[in-house]
Amino acid sequence: MDTPLAYYLANLAVYFLIYCMLTMGLNISFGMTGILDFAYITFMAVGAYVAGVVALGPATLDSQMTYILGLNWPFPLPLIAGGVAAGLFGALVGLLAMRRLRSDYLAIVLVATWSISWNLASNFTGLFNGTTGLLNVPQPLATNFNADPNSYVYVFIPIAAICVVLFFVVAYRIERSPFGRALRAIRSDPDVAAAFGKRTMRLRLQAMMMGCMYAGLAGALTILYIGAMNPSAWAIVETVIVFSALLVGGRGNVFGAILGALLVRIVIIEGTGLLPQVPNHPELLGALRNIAIGVLIIIVMYFRPQGVLPERRRRYELKPRRAQRVREAARDSA
Amino acid sequence: MQLFFLSVGFGLVTASVVAIASVGLTLQFGVTNYVNFAYGDFLTLGAYLTWTLNSAFGWNFWLALIAGSFGVGVAALIISQVVLEPFVRKGGPLLIILVVTFGLSLILANTILAVWGADYKQYNVPLENPISIGPLLLTADQLGIIALSIAVMVAIHLVLTRTKLGKAMRAMSDDKNLASVSGIPARQVTALVWLLSGVLAGLGGGVLALNVATFDSSIGVTFLFVIFAAVILGGIGKPYGAMLGALIIGMAVELSSVWIPSQYKLDVAFVLLVLVLLTRPQGLMSVLGKA
Amino acid sequence: MTAPEAILSVQDVRHAFGGVQAVNGCSLQVPAGSITALIGPNGAGKTTLVNLVTGMMRLQGGSVEYAGQNISHWAPDRVARAGLLRTFQLSREFTKLTVLENLLVAATGQIDESLFGALFRRRSVQKQERALVEKARLLLSIFSLDDLRDEWAENLSGGQKRLLELARAVMAEPRMLILDEPMAGVNPALMTRLEEHIRDLRRQGITFLIVEHNLHVVERLCDLVIVMAEGKTLAAGAMSEHRANPEVVRAYLGSGAGPAE
Repeated sequence: MDTPLAYYLANLAVYFLIYCMLTMGLNISFGMTGILDFAYITFMAVGAYVAGVVALGPATLDSQMTYILGLNWPFPLPLIAGGVAAGLFGALVGLLAMRRLRSDYLAIVLVATWSISWNLASNFTGLFNGTTGLLNVPQPLATNFNADPNSYVYVFIPIAAICVVLFFVVAYRIERSPFGRALRAIRSDPDVAAAFGKRTMRLRLQAMMMGCMYAGLAGALTILYIGAMNPSAWAIVETVIVFSALLVGGRGNVFGAILGALLVRIVIIEGTGLLPQVPNHPELLGALRNIAIGVLIIIVMYFRPQGVLPERRRRYELKPRRAQRVREAARDSA
Repeated sequence: MQLFFLSVGFGLVTASVVAIASVGLTLQFGVTNYVNFAYGDFLTLGAYLTWTLNSAFGWNFWLALIAGSFGVGVAALIISQVVLEPFVRKGGPLLIILVVTFGLSLILANTILAVWGADYKQYNVPLENPISIGPLLLTADQLGIIALSIAVMVAIHLVLTRTKLGKAMRAMSDDKNLASVSGIPARQVTALVWLLSGVLAGLGGGVLALNVATFDSSIGVTFLFVIFAAVILGGIGKPYGAMLGALIIGMAVELSSVWIPSQYKLDVAFVLLVLVLLTRPQGLMSVLGKA
Repeated sequence: MTAPEAILSVQDVRHAFGGVQAVNGCSLQVPAGSITALIGPNGAGKTTLVNLVTGMMRLQGGSVEYAGQNISHWAPDRVARAGLLRTFQLSREFTKLTVLENLLVAATGQIDESLFGALFRRRSVQKQERALVEKARLLLSIFSLDDLRDEWAENLSGGQKRLLELARAVMAEPRMLILDEPMAGVNPALMTRLEEHIRDLRRQGITFLIVEHNLHVVERLCDLVIVMAEGKTLAAGAMSEHRANPEVVRAYLGSGAGPAE
């Protein structure tokens, strides 16, 4: 339990769980509904920042940070606040943007949303302490368990795990529900879906909100674990990486999302993180890794656009009595 | 008042930079019918290729700019043929190729980072005093940018109206199926449009970098939205619209600094972009009628 | 003699795009319980009219009344929920959904189709699902598609997709169904089956408006034939009347095939 390896693995487990939240959320808005949310990482930031300013006490001169709120609320309120704030922000953006925009225009508006948000967060230091960001965010239950920094991870793993398992169940339910089926119909052909009575705007908005909420929770978990968040953590490249994880793992199904988190966040990113740095060129390794991810996206989109775990056909079984009625009807009409 | 005229001057320069880059993007969209999210990185590539010729090999800036832009044109041509056209031929939903351009952006930006490093670069240009032209105050380089932009706009106009390529581009932009049925060689025209788009991006990137003095590998991506704003304001796929859009956006961005802290300058463009998309996504040119 | 009431009444409807006046003051009535045809040469504006009636395109003039309500500016989903449904010229099945799911999603008024329902009303939703699956499978058996129920809808053959289009529309329990060229590219055996199905459905009370080019089918199947040309209604009546009408003949001969075929 105390070895560096155990610590490393436990740490990795937390990052994996958090990334699963990200991919599961994007699977709802993009995978199932087809919304090209190129601003996705912005909602993670919203969740992180809100959770941070809810968990932190009021900004004082001592802390050398400036930010809004500062409510000092105990866990799990910051986590919930982060998720809700992100979901609401997603709903707002959706309301403004999704009215009648074709998919590439919508993508442009969403990236612009990221850009405006990023600039605001970086320059408007009164909000979330600008480019330095929030620091020293209290970790949940740290004092209760009296954990030192090295063993805190073992306190956090159950917290993250419970959150992720809960939202996995939610995502799974959505996938198998008539709501999920309607989303997939909208993804396939929104005009025909409307021609069958589906309230496409309302359904898309709900999907967008859910996806953003997942991102917000991922952000909240991140800031509560690491204790810090600043704009460098949510550059536009981060959205591309979440997309690549979902596309590689398999979009349209929650298991594909989890696999994608494993393959991209753990295997590729952690894997390349173990390579030695090149002296005098600290940015080189990161750049090569991002190039590899870009190449991976293109290759996967060409050869296996559905991802490693594609969407499966769902069979709907009938109980014996109903099945009998169907058989009789088939006989009668033959 | 002086600040106002200063801003008008800067507005003309910014508009010139935006115009060169926007026309490239809008011409390419008109023919291919999908947005190239990696366009910002073509701008960056132009800035860096120009830098290499200018700082490492000591060329005069303007010569380096021309040569560097052709380099970007060739790169764009190769990328379009090797990476993008296979996806177009394969068919499939629009979103796949948009995701591919996004991935391409990642590759390009990081390749530039890997090759040239993360430090800030500058061009080797003589330091000059600004020249007074009426109420405006501009350096010789800035005047050069405006002159280049006007030259490029005239050249594009001539290409569109007088050459076979230009007419083919306009036909394909209006109605792709009709154009190919009328015997226009779609493949060749598409390839040439990518070449042209790359050259314009290279020119745009170089002058942009000149105008902001110091730059790093994020320069193109940050400016991309300003270009999007101009393109969409003018009507996507309409080159004359892009020129008009560039003028409006360039002026708006610079004039805004009279009232708003200058770090939010680019955000003005983004907000304008979002407003245009929400209220009139087909742009201004649809009102004025011309392509 | 009282004519049956019109379930759909189109008054002076107009729509232009890009300088072309596609629908130019078109008026027509579809009697309730009838199988009415809408015929006319290519470019007459028939599909545009269907799009306007169902809300997929915006009216630029005139009005549409359905089942006693003014639906002129209703959004397409609202029109569908009121029981006016349509099929499409080129089969537009939901890809990445199975054949069965295409029908399940077509059912209107499902209680779960919202986030709240997906999460919190599981028991009632499961009950509704079982009933819907049974109904869908009964319908699929009638259209002989039950064996294909778990196939991706996009993998069906052209003829099977036509049957699916019709079955899916019926699943939504329409009061009136607009079919856009249901017989296009369909072989004679399948054509007979489709005609049978349409007659059966009319017996069950559904009104039909069928846009069709195949005049044999129209003659066999339809009570009333409305002719449209150049964005307007030219005439309404029986096929024999239209054949004797010089205006109708000219409209058809002017662009190729004539109604005498």
